[in-house]
Amino acid sequence: MLSTVSEPSLATATQLAAFRFMLRARLLDDKFAALYRAGKIHGGVFIGRGQEALSASIGVSLKKTDVFAPLIRDAAGRLAFGETILDAVRTYLGSTLGPMRGRDGNVHRGRPQQGYLPMISHLGAMISVVNGVLFARRMKGISGTVGVACLGEGATSTGAFHESLNQAAVEKLPLVLVVANNQYAYSTPTSRQFACENLADRAIGYGIGAHTVDATDLSACLETVGGAMAKARNGEGPQLVVATLLRLCGHGEHDDANYIDPALKKSPLGRDCLKFAEEFLLQNKMTDAAQLAVWRSEALREIEDAVSQAQREPLPDPFTENWSAISSEHLNETHIE
Amino acid sequence: MITYLDAICEAQAHALRDDPRVFIYGQDVGAFGGAFKATKNLAKEFPGRVLDSPISEDAMVGLAVGAAIEGMRPIVEMQFADFSTVGFNQIVNQAATLFWRTGVPCPITVRLPFGGTSGGGPFHSQSLETIYAHYPGLIVLTPATVEDAYSMLLEAVAIDDPVIFCEHKFLYRHLKAEKLPSEALPIGKARIAREGRDLTIVAYSAMVHDALEAATELAAEGWEIEVVDLRSVKPLDTDTVMASVSRTGKLLAVGESWPWGGVTAEVIARVASEGYGLLDAPPQRLNAKDTPVPYHPNLWAAHRPTVRAVAAAARKILRS
Amino acid sequence: MHIPIIMPQLGESIAEARIINFLVKPGDNVEADQDLIEVETDKATMTVASPCKGKIENFSAQLEESYAVGAPLGKIEATAEEAARLGMDVSASQKFTDTEQISKSGINSGKNRVQPSIRGLPVPANAAGASYLSPRLKARMDELGLHAADLAGVAGSGAAGRVTVEDFEKYIASLEKHKMSGASSMRVAVADAMRRSWTRPLATVGLPVILDAVLAHRKASHPKPGPALYALRALAIALAENSAVAGRLVGNKIIHPSSIDVGFAVEADDGVLVPVIRNADKKSLKEMTQRYNELVELARARKLPADATGGSIATVTNFGTFGLIWATPIPLPEQTLVLGMGAGRKVPSWDESKQQFLPVTEANLTLSFDHRVLDGGAAGRLLQRIAQLISEPAKL
Repeated sequence: MLSTVSEPSLATATQLAAFRFMLRARLLDDKFAALYRAGKIHGGVFIGRGQEALSASIGVSLKKTDVFAPLIRDAAGRLAFGETILDAVRTYLGSTLGPMRGRDGNVHRGRPQQGYLPMISHLGAMISVVNGVLFARRMKGISGTVGVACLGEGATSTGAFHESLNQAAVEKLPLVLVVANNQYAYSTPTSRQFACENLADRAIGYGIGAHTVDATDLSACLETVGGAMAKARNGEGPQLVVATLLRLCGHGEHDDANYIDPALKKSPLGRDCLKFAEEFLLQNKMTDAAQLAVWRSEALREIEDAVSQAQREPLPDPFTENWSAISSEHLNETHIE
Repeated sequence: MITYLDAICEAQAHALRDDPRVFIYGQDVGAFGGAFKATKNLAKEFPGRVLDSPISEDAMVGLAVGAAIEGMRPIVEMQFADFSTVGFNQIVNQAATLFWRTGVPCPITVRLPFGGTSGGGPFHSQSLETIYAHYPGLIVLTPATVEDAYSMLLEAVAIDDPVIFCEHKFLYRHLKAEKLPSEALPIGKARIAREGRDLTIVAYSAMVHDALEAATELAAEGWEIEVVDLRSVKPLDTDTVMASVSRTGKLLAVGESWPWGGVTAEVIARVASEGYGLLDAPPQRLNAKDTPVPYHPNLWAAHRPTVRAVAAAARKILRS
Repeated sequence: MHIPIIMPQLGESIAEARIINFLVKPGDNVEADQDLIEVETDKATMTVASPCKGKIENFSAQLEESYAVGAPLGKIEATAEEAARLGMDVSASQKFTDTEQISKSGINSGKNRVQPSIRGLPVPANAAGASYLSPRLKARMDELGLHAADLAGVAGSGAAGRVTVEDFEKYIASLEKHKMSGASSMRVAVADAMRRSWTRPLATVGLPVILDAVLAHRKASHPKPGPALYALRALAIALAENSAVAGRLVGNKIIHPSSIDVGFAVEADDGVLVPVIRNADKKSLKEMTQRYNELVELARARKLPADATGGSIATVTNFGTFGLIWATPIPLPEQTLVLGMGAGRKVPSWDESKQQFLPVTEANLTLSFDHRVLDGGAAGRLLQRIAQLISEPAKL
């Protein structure tokens, strides 16, 4: 099932663009991990090491007018969908100039009105929200857009997953659900998560399209994710993409992931998608080492600049904060603090 | 005559007519017109805008939030308030946090047919206003009259925040009015449903009527009872409650939901802490019993506060 | 046996239904569960089924009319056996028959009284009058500068006779009818002290003493000590011997006096002042007479120096100056004891050696005390000792 070298069937430009987002995401994640270890980040840091190929493929396949609900390991997809490095850094560091203004942090970021939905922590809960945006667009007569919701294999066990997938199927919404089966939900192996042979088989039960892909292979991801998205865009209803990979990091940076089976790390699943993509691009002469070095240094500089800028930006201030949980401020209660 | 249920149906028709962003989504709300007929004929009158959902309360609310982000004003009908707990996560974690987290408003209205009608049993009778009021980011409305059912639902749809609209199943067909109102008190203002000087009874939704009936019974004994209809439990109009207690010196808060915590506890906590010096007797509250709602009418009628229970509680305070 | 045909509850929240068709007619024999009447709600069209086997006696319901849930629609004539089999022979009062009635009025019929779930109010059943003051009443009293003692004259109409706000307002309004004058600051201060003192259980013991020796001693002295000074000096000596009885009880601790400073009551304009003689145990009667007389004058002029007021551990009061022979003075709030002295009067006293009554001058000594600190026995022994010391004035 795992491919070795994919045919360069997709446009080289897309390959290169996706690769650059993978690289930028990897470097950005590494920076967040370093900031976390330096005590600069409150709460947690959750990185997508090993998932960049899948995530970047989603991001580059989406149009700016589409809908995207990424999950915790989607730095690459977020960047590819248009999030700036600065927005990501601002959210982690709590800058009030970021989209979440210190009210929410780390991976809980987005710009809902630009189709970029900020995840809540309850897994599976974002799928029906994507459905809602697509549903509303259809009511408004807007066509041709798709929505992607990202999940891990653990989230497929939730009731929300079932309810929303069924809902999308009933409504024939242009939803693409991408399940990154990275073998562990926090520490729980797939054997304790589900009993079916292939999660993609579940699509049959919902009456929707199914796709599987080796997520360590960027070319395969671009083809499969892009294909699923094209089908959805084409009115063929929801599509389920199940991608297999191994998480090459802990659940978060607080987790050393000592529970991961060493045999899995040595298996084809354990292949680093970034390294493999780099080799593929060089082998096929789609780029060269010098160009790679430039991209790397450009990304690093952008990241360093963003961190430097965000650290000089205003932090939330409890005394000037507008402590209103509702937008209708006249309906706030005056008798409770 | 227009029933409370008609008023809810009419308000939705009005909203659908006036605002193309409005749509209704819920189980059986389409051609069938809803389990209680609160959307009767609406699917026919507004094609494509009154839609049956699968039995998926979580996904129903999630879809509404997504649609709201996209600029729509969805109304979600829960078939029974009791089932909203399946969609609880989307209500309290998705809808209620969206504005705070992102600055993007979430104008959804979730209609909860709630409260006891005899024979409903443990899973078709619950009053859940308390748990929703507990969460920041939600507006929780509990209309007690046909007029309020109409005007407050219209206002709920117009509000830019998620609204939990608690409509009482007993009132649906038992409450009637001559006509729909042309003007109304705004949300957030309580109403003095009856004036009095001896005791303030604070109630909301169906309990307002039990309180009014108890007040009539007590009037025959020479007591003048003031009844405050909260109308909305969140925001809670503490000012009107406090002003009433300053006139009467005595307070009884009545609610149909369970006793632990809740709206009645909140009312008493606020009066006790901010209006301590107004009280000429310890404030009291009356709620349902702390058990699931029973099925049989004999048990059911004793489970929730009744007119007699309200009157008895009031007498106890009045004679203190 | 007549079995009613009842409009059933045809769905949640349904209040009534309309009769659209009778499927059987009076006189027909029907089986149990057989459909009898077609009804329509705004939710659905449904049928009303027969509750039992029997013969339709009549339909009271009319076609095209609406009937409330629980309303009788007609009757079936059934055998007693059939009725019994269905449990329909039980008397109606024990059975639930009418949803409407129950949902409106609860189950409060006859002996099944509904008990309110609220708890009783925290007014002890045996507490009377003003003992329980509601927050509102307290707030109102604070507003007017009143104390609980001011409500002593109000008959409460609340639980256990407590004074309600209504009682209070009526009382305040009733006072308006009377002539009022402002109390002096001295009066208010005394009132406050007495009110505070009265929060304790106070008791009084008394003893007659013969004053002839004191009177003779006084006659021979220059300047003349006041009669109260003899009592004061005797009290000081007695307390120096055992100061614990003048201690104050605070919580579970006795606070002992650190020096024997004794006050004495002097009537001043509209009140009482209490000058203090410091270390009264360490000065002789003669040594303190001059100071005593000065302090009396200063007190009357209300010019007591700061070092002559406050901090005393007990007080002496000579109520005899008013011609009184008996009183139960109240100790100052910060003191445990007050020693009182009544007016002297000639009484016959049996003289054992002469075997006859002889005239003597006798006065009552009283000791009022905080019963929490000492008992009647200890108070009596203290008073006995004082009487003994007074009987030998030369030693004072």
